[in-house]
Amino acid sequence: MSRVLRPVACVIAATAVATGVATAVLNVIGEERGVDHALGLIGAVLFVISVAAPASVGLFVALRQPTNRIPWILLVGSLSVAVVIAASAIADLALEGDRSSTLGAWAALVSQQWPVLFLWPLALAYVFPDGRLPSPRWRPVGALVCLACSGLSLMLLFVPESDTDYGQIASPMPFTLPRSLEPVFWVFWAGLLASLVGGAVALYARYRAGDAQRRRQVLWLAYGAVLVPLWLGGGSVVARVVGSSDDIDFFGIMILQVWPAVAVAVAVTRHGLYAIDRVLNRTLVYVVLTALLVATYALVALLAGLVVGGSALSASVATIAAALAFRPLLARIQALVDHRFARARFDAVRLLRNFLDQVRDGHAEPEDVGAAVSLALADPSAEVVFRLPETGAYANRHGHLIELPDDGRDRVMIGRDERELGVLLHAPGLPPDLVRAVVDGAAVTVELARLRVELRLQLAEVESSRARIAQAGYAERRRIERDLHDGAQQRLVTLGIVLRRIQRSLPRDAIAIDPALDAAVDEVTAAIADLRTIAAGVRPPRLDEGLAAALADLARGATVPVEVSATADRAPPEVEAAAYFVACEALTNALKHASPTHVVVETARENGVLRLLVADDGVGGAETGGGMGLPGMADRVAAQGGTLAIDSPPGAGTRIAVQLPCAS
Amino acid sequence: MRVVIAEDTVLLREGLAGLLEDAGHEVVGRAGDADALLTLIGEHEPDLAVVDVRMPPDYDDEGTRAAAEIRRTHPSTGVLVLSQHIETRHIVELVTDGGGFGYLLKDRVLDVDDFLDAARRVADGGSALDPQVVATLIGAPGPVRALGELTPREHEVLTLMAEGRTNSGIAKRLWLTEKTVETHVRAILMKLGLTVSDDDHRRVLAVLAYLRAIKG
Repeated sequence: MSRVLRPVACVIAATAVATGVATAVLNVIGEERGVDHALGLIGAVLFVISVAAPASVGLFVALRQPTNRIPWILLVGSLSVAVVIAASAIADLALEGDRSSTLGAWAALVSQQWPVLFLWPLALAYVFPDGRLPSPRWRPVGALVCLACSGLSLMLLFVPESDTDYGQIASPMPFTLPRSLEPVFWVFWAGLLASLVGGAVALYARYRAGDAQRRRQVLWLAYGAVLVPLWLGGGSVVARVVGSSDDIDFFGIMILQVWPAVAVAVAVTRHGLYAIDRVLNRTLVYVVLTALLVATYALVALLAGLVVGGSALSASVATIAAALAFRPLLARIQALVDHRFARARFDAVRLLRNFLDQVRDGHAEPEDVGAAVSLALADPSAEVVFRLPETGAYANRHGHLIELPDDGRDRVMIGRDERELGVLLHAPGLPPDLVRAVVDGAAVTVELARLRVELRLQLAEVESSRARIAQAGYAERRRIERDLHDGAQQRLVTLGIVLRRIQRSLPRDAIAIDPALDAAVDEVTAAIADLRTIAAGVRPPRLDEGLAAALADLARGATVPVEVSATADRAPPEVEAAAYFVACEALTNALKHASPTHVVVETARENGVLRLLVADDGVGGAETGGGMGLPGMADRVAAQGGTLAIDSPPGAGTRIAVQLPCAS
Repeated sequence: MRVVIAEDTVLLREGLAGLLEDAGHEVVGRAGDADALLTLIGEHEPDLAVVDVRMPPDYDDEGTRAAAEIRRTHPSTGVLVLSQHIETRHIVELVTDGGGFGYLLKDRVLDVDDFLDAARRVADGGSALDPQVVATLIGAPGPVRALGELTPREHEVLTLMAEGRTNSGIAKRLWLTEKTVETHVRAILMKLGLTVSDDDHRRVLAVLAYLRAIKG
């Protein structure tokens, strides 16, 4: 299809321009011959421009997108205008010599098709930029426009007399319409006028409904649409005042032909329509790049040739030089071209590069990439969501797992090497190439950020699972303690009571067995005491009464004076247990390794934190890594999300300070 | 005397009942939890309730709480609480609340005579406190300067006093004459700044009130 369409586009554009040039020449000749209203040299040049503008823009777009309807409107429009104006010039020339010239009569008939001047801008107003009406509701309007235009055109084709500068020329057509049909003609004419207004409304509708990008694309054409009614209305007013509207008509037609073409060109090159600006950009970059590389090659080859003389060697050196120059040159030229022709993209990319530098220097957190992207896109609603590598879930910058919101924002995947790193959510209608550039520029930072987010999530998971394990451990200790007291110990007591009852029910003469039963009961009592000690090691039941009570018991069992100053405020059981066991280990350590004469144990509850201090006046020099139970203590504290600090200068005692958070 | 026993372990409950019946007491009710205990108390109004601390449903301190309830609603019924381990919650309050209350570790039952003695004392409106609980309370942390001034012998006497023993009981225990014990008691109460009284359980109350003061 495009294989046919491209040459056809070329032919149409060439024909239009050629016709325009020919018309200009005919006008210049006509002026020399004294033809009334013939265009002068300047007018002729302007006319060529007004034909060449839509033709060239149409051709330019058609070559890249042959199936797009818009360039064909421009091409056919420019050709039709050129033909009608050419016919007018031919008619003038022919009729100037011979009023009854057949050529003149036919040309005059063709020149009557002046509505073509409006037709293609009108079509553009209705279907720009996607080649379709703004909405299905516009279909009746479209049908009416077609009816009015074709009706007008047909009636003009069969007018009995053509209106020329040389009077009414009879139509050469074998068949003409009777004058009585003139009211119908004016109905069609009114229809055309209404269509012009409708076109302006259609453009406005498209502007209203479009996103920011579409609005920018449509804006210039919309300006033109406002101008046409102004010109039609204003022109007739001026004509009444000044008397002649020829010049105004001419410039009006000029603007009518050039403006839409310029508007389309602006939309295509500046506002990303049909994504052609990117192609242009690439083309420009590679043309300049090629030129510079060739220049580099030539220059180096020349210099190398002068120095070493050998052709093969100098060629190699030049090749290497050109190869080395390729990447930096490409980047430099791309930046230059972007800076000149794609400012928004250039600024966005530069902003993101600066942000990445800040992240590298530690001045910015990679998680803030969303804010940088938002700035780069000038879109406050823009947001970057990270895709976690392990689970594939999405998380925001705070590390909270989220679902992708479905709130009308566009989603763009942020990826690297086919891997999805995250999703950019942004307001619809941003220039796609800008978004693409931003996404590419942000990918490295997003990769960094999502790893950090994942790490943080996993760390939080590890912490909470450790807390759960610690809690389960505490519950288990409590259960074992209960089992020891209420199970085994109860049975032993029962056994003891049975023995005692046997003992007491024995007849007096069975006294020989008495000491044995006493011994048995003593054993049972000892076993109960042992069990009680074991249970207390698992979890001191006195913890039920509070940390202070449990610590007091602990102090009482110590071999050196232990001064306990404990808060009566209660903390969650597992926190109190953790504090107790840390104190227990700290005390055991002190007694075992530090030879203290005095130990102080203090607890305090403040600001949702349970503080524990165990200080001795022993030899000091305890180390966290040493095999002195310190790692165990640290683990116990960490499991509750707390901190443990050890100050143990040699010879100056040891202070172990613990902070345990307790949700209250 | 008429006794109600509350203990959720059946074998232990029967053992205790057997011990008390062997000694000529009448076990009028057996309960497995605090609610049943309170019902039986209301039914029989016994002289003594022997109550396990941990009972269904939560195995926490149902027994102690039931004891407080009994002391409030049936002042004539003494309550002897038995525990598997040392606990001081509510104990001081109950002991200092007018007698008729005792608290013993369960293995203390195996010293049958002591146990029956304590049961008798409590049923008669006296007190009985396990020596280990007393040790815990007396050895409690804090500025117990006055206790530090006691001689070892006085300390021993104070401990037995706190257990609720009479002077003669203390004398028997320590192989002393009653007169010597009286001297020690006077010295102790003086050192603790308490007025001397012959009344058996007032002495305990005094000691425990003091202990509570320094503990709190």
